[in-house]
Amino acid sequence: MSGINITELDKVYDSGTEKVVAVEDLSIEINHGEFLVLVGPSGCGKSTTLRCLAGLEDVTTGSIQFGDEDVTDHRASERDVAMVFQNYALYPHMTVRSNIGFGLKLSTKLTGDEIEQQVEDVAEMLGISELLNEKPKALSGGQQQRVALGRAIVREPSVFLMDEPLSNLDAKLRSDMRTELQELQADLDVTTVYVTHDQTEAMAMGDRIAVMDGGVLQQVGPPEEVYRSPVNQFVADFIGSPSINLLSADVEGETLRGPGGFTYEIDDTEPVAGHDRVRVGIRPEDITVVDSGQNTADVTVVEPMGNENFLYMEMDGHELTARVDPAIRPAEETQVSFDFREAALYLFDAKTGDALKTKTDTVDPAVVGTTED
Amino acid sequence: MATSDETDDRVGQAYRRRIRTKIRTATRRSRRAARPVWDRVRFARQDLTAATPALPRVAYLFIAPFFLLFSVFLAFPVFYTLYLSFFEYQGVGQGSLFWIDLGPVYIEIPQIAQLNFVGLGNYARLLGNDLFWQSMFNTSYILVIQVPLMIGLALALALALNASFMRFKGVFRTAIALPVSANLVAYSTVFLLLFNEQLGFLNYVLAGVGLGPVPWLTDGFWARNTIIAAVTWRWTGYNMIILLAGLQTIPQQLYEAAEIDGANRWEKFRYVTLPQLKPVFLFVVVLSTIGTFKLFAEPYVITGGGPTNSTITIVQYIYRQAFVNFNLGYASALTVVFVAVVSVFSVIQIKIGGED
Repeated sequence: MSGINITELDKVYDSGTEKVVAVEDLSIEINHGEFLVLVGPSGCGKSTTLRCLAGLEDVTTGSIQFGDEDVTDHRASERDVAMVFQNYALYPHMTVRSNIGFGLKLSTKLTGDEIEQQVEDVAEMLGISELLNEKPKALSGGQQQRVALGRAIVREPSVFLMDEPLSNLDAKLRSDMRTELQELQADLDVTTVYVTHDQTEAMAMGDRIAVMDGGVLQQVGPPEEVYRSPVNQFVADFIGSPSINLLSADVEGETLRGPGGFTYEIDDTEPVAGHDRVRVGIRPEDITVVDSGQNTADVTVVEPMGNENFLYMEMDGHELTARVDPAIRPAEETQVSFDFREAALYLFDAKTGDALKTKTDTVDPAVVGTTED
Repeated sequence: MATSDETDDRVGQAYRRRIRTKIRTATRRSRRAARPVWDRVRFARQDLTAATPALPRVAYLFIAPFFLLFSVFLAFPVFYTLYLSFFEYQGVGQGSLFWIDLGPVYIEIPQIAQLNFVGLGNYARLLGNDLFWQSMFNTSYILVIQVPLMIGLALALALALNASFMRFKGVFRTAIALPVSANLVAYSTVFLLLFNEQLGFLNYVLAGVGLGPVPWLTDGFWARNTIIAAVTWRWTGYNMIILLAGLQTIPQQLYEAAEIDGANRWEKFRYVTLPQLKPVFLFVVVLSTIGTFKLFAEPYVITGGGPTNSTITIVQYIYRQAFVNFNLGYASALTVVFVAVVSVFSVIQIKIGGED
């Protein structure tokens, strides 16, 4: 069975005049059948990592193992991987049928009839049977996406690699394909590494997500863990939409004193021991609007979402976002008081950004329904 | 940045404020006295545009010069050539073709030439003419060898220059493409000297390695090859540049997809490069075929069509008939046949290579 083991991977682009470190000291263990999402802002090294896994880039140092086999020096064609590209990279001059069957034709000893049969099976699975004789340019973005998936699936590879495969689709189609892709991956039980810059996609799809920044792996874990217990300010800021509210505050005993008259009494001073200044983080959904309280902010914009309202507020020039009940809709340019629970508070080291305290409130995911197997 | 402090927020605020200010100023016209001169020019232009009434169909006026020049220098000669091919030319025209007397204004169109109608006589004459067939054979021979040779070379060079490991690409590209800037007569003269039997550099080198002098210019077979060498030298770089540009438009991801699909180097060339290059390749083939069909200056300078007409090309034959023997009618018929043959060739090539 084929899990993936990446050990101390470094990738340095050396143009002769300057060196660019794209990936630094990356180690991840990916289990067989797992759906791992690499996520981070552009230039964080996630795509480079994927390309190293595919064999499209040489690694500078470190090793990559598929199952028990060290594939670090193997060519892409010898690694038994299939990849879905952001722009699909379909062969424009070939029909859908040839596009899907091309890999089988080159790298297997299957007869023409057998290839034909497999291509048709996969096309049926993806609902593109009637498109088999079309050329890619006659297809819509969503259809091209399916062909690209078909090309990957038909090979029955030991690893799927996906490089932002949904980012060229419109929003509706993207969320449909997201679900479909997850079901497909679960059915096929193939280890999958999926790259995206979209944290929503990462949260929704990944069994685990790996957050990268500046070529360095920040944190790997299940989506909820990364959301609730980020290891540093970067991860907290990157994961979650709208983003976490962050502000700097001075520590005075049990009191956190921030800009615009922001003060907050904490019961547990242990996380801030030895710090005179910290970064305070509050998730938008943890802010509640109250009748009167210590902290106030000026409402600048209210975005009604239907099921909830986003309040954009300013506190002495610091922006604050709150996700509140649709019934709460203060007028713009008015002042509101807000509060939050200490359990929902995040605290980060002001200099290093490392997490001092993360959410401690408990969530019991009530398991409803039964698993089939 | 993980350690961002308040500065981040402050920068963001300042930025927003600046945008707000910008929007405010953009909607208003600057009233300051010392407006930069280019702004005043722009305002004047905007005012002028607003004040000028829109002229209907003024666009036709703008495209008229092209059609005027085209009809005088291209359309008229083309049709006149066709017309002329049914006549025998007997001398420069005398008298008027027609005149219009409008009282005070008298317009007279002089007759261009004295012509004698011969119907399809010129065409019958060329079909029975040995030199016509000889020149057709020479041209075809040069074409069949030179065009594939040159395009093959150009493609090989383009592939080499497009390879990622290649260094000093710019230098090689320029060096290889440089011959195209050479003056036709000048480079032909250089080839004439290089291939000279007694004094030429090439035979000197061959003698150095113990090979006898090759009759580059005096033997029909070798003379044709000399022409092929010259034309290939001059045009390979040109075609290489076009093919290289075509190669560079092929998306890198297709090669990566092919690599993952298990393609080796040859299979990538066969299944990605060739199909993707097809339109550019077709363009190069059609253009080269037409170019070589029109071959004139090289044989004119290097061999003069000799020895004993074994390198005379179709255009050279037309030139001789038209401007040496002044058989303008007959030369026109030759031209019509020549254009028809080239057109048929091009259409066939595009039909074969141009589906979808």
